[in-house]
Amino acid sequence: MLQKGAAKKVTIYVNEDTQRHLAPLYESVLSFLMSKGVAGATATRALAGFGAHGVLHTPKVEALSEHLSIRIEFVESAARVNELLPTLYEMITDGLIEVQDTTIVKAAMKDKHAPESNQPHTRQAGSAKMMRIYLGEADRWHGEPLYDAIVKQLRLMDISGATVYRGILGYGAKGHTHKQSFFHVSKDLPIMISVVESEEKLKVAAEAVENMLEDGLIVMSDVEIVRLIRSMPEEITDAGSPR
Amino acid sequence: MQALPGKLLRLHFTERDRYQGKPLHEAIIEKCRELQISGATVFRGLEGYGEMAEIHRSHVLRHDLPIVVQIVDTPETIERLIPLLEPMMDRGLIAVSDVSMIRVHKTKDTGAA
Repeated sequence: MLQKGAAKKVTIYVNEDTQRHLAPLYESVLSFLMSKGVAGATATRALAGFGAHGVLHTPKVEALSEHLSIRIEFVESAARVNELLPTLYEMITDGLIEVQDTTIVKAAMKDKHAPESNQPHTRQAGSAKMMRIYLGEADRWHGEPLYDAIVKQLRLMDISGATVYRGILGYGAKGHTHKQSFFHVSKDLPIMISVVESEEKLKVAAEAVENMLEDGLIVMSDVEIVRLIRSMPEEITDAGSPR
Repeated sequence: MQALPGKLLRLHFTERDRYQGKPLHEAIIEKCRELQISGATVFRGLEGYGEMAEIHRSHVLRHDLPIVVQIVDTPETIERLIPLLEPMMDRGLIAVSDVSMIRVHKTKDTGAA
C-alpha cells in the first residue's frame, strides 16, 4: 500500500508492436511490475503520436495504426523505483523511460482485505494539544460552508478527528450578535470546531485553517489524552464498513 | 501567525438559570458586550448533570438543558471579568484554562485572502 507524501512517478513510452520474448513489450513490463509488487500500473494506448523513429503513428492510415505508442505509468516510493529501474532499463530496448517527482495525496483501497489503509489514528495517550476554531455558520469558502471546508481540509491533512459545535448565542470578530428565537431562525449562529492532535500536526493544521478563516479565532491549549478507544481493525473489516 | 497567550473561561449552568428576569446566558452575553470583551459563545448541551445531581434533559414543556458559555481573551481581561460575572450566577461552575490564541481578522484588509 502506498503511503501519503513524496513519491516517484515513472512513465514508459513504447511501441505497441515492440516484442520481447515473443510477447508485446508492454505486457512484459506490466507483468514484471506486478511480480515486483508494484501497487498499480496503467498502460494506455495513444490516439496518435510520433517517437524517435520519426514516423507519425495515426489511426487514419491503417498500416501505421498498428504501431501506436503505449504509455505505461506507475507510482512508487523513491526507493522502490530505484530498485526497479535497472531491470526496466534492460527491458526497454526501444522507447523512453521518464521519472518525475510526485506527491501522493490519497491512496485509498476499497477492499475487504485492505491491509492497514484505514488506520489514520496514530495518536497515543499522553500530552497533546487541543485546537478550538471559532467562526460563523454563514461564513463561506468557495461556495460551501466554511466549517465543512475546514473539516474536509483537516481530514486531508490526516488529523484524526474534529467535531463541529453550533452555539445558540454569541458574538465575536464580526461584532454582531448571533441569535435565534422562536420566531426567527438564524442562519448565522456561532460555530466552534474542536480538534485534538499532536502539537506538530496541529501547528501545520492551524496554518491551513488560518488561511481559510476570514474572521475568527483559533485557540490552542494543552490537553492530556487519557485513553483512545477504537474498535479493532478485524471488527471494522468484518462489518464491511471501513470507517 | 502570531499566537498570543490568553485564557479560556467556561461558565457551566443550565437554561433555566435567570438573572434579573432574563435567561442567564443572554444576560452574560450582554454584560460581556458592555465590558467590550472581544467575543463570547453560548453552547447548549444535549444532556448533562451538575451539582444538583439532577439530569438535565430536553422536555416538551421544560427547558432545562446544560449551557456552556465560552469566552477567550487576554489573561488580564479574563481575571477582570470573573469577579463581575460570578455574582450573576446563583449556581454553576466557572473554569479557566491557559490557551494560546490566534486572532484572524481579514475583512478590514484589502481582501487579500
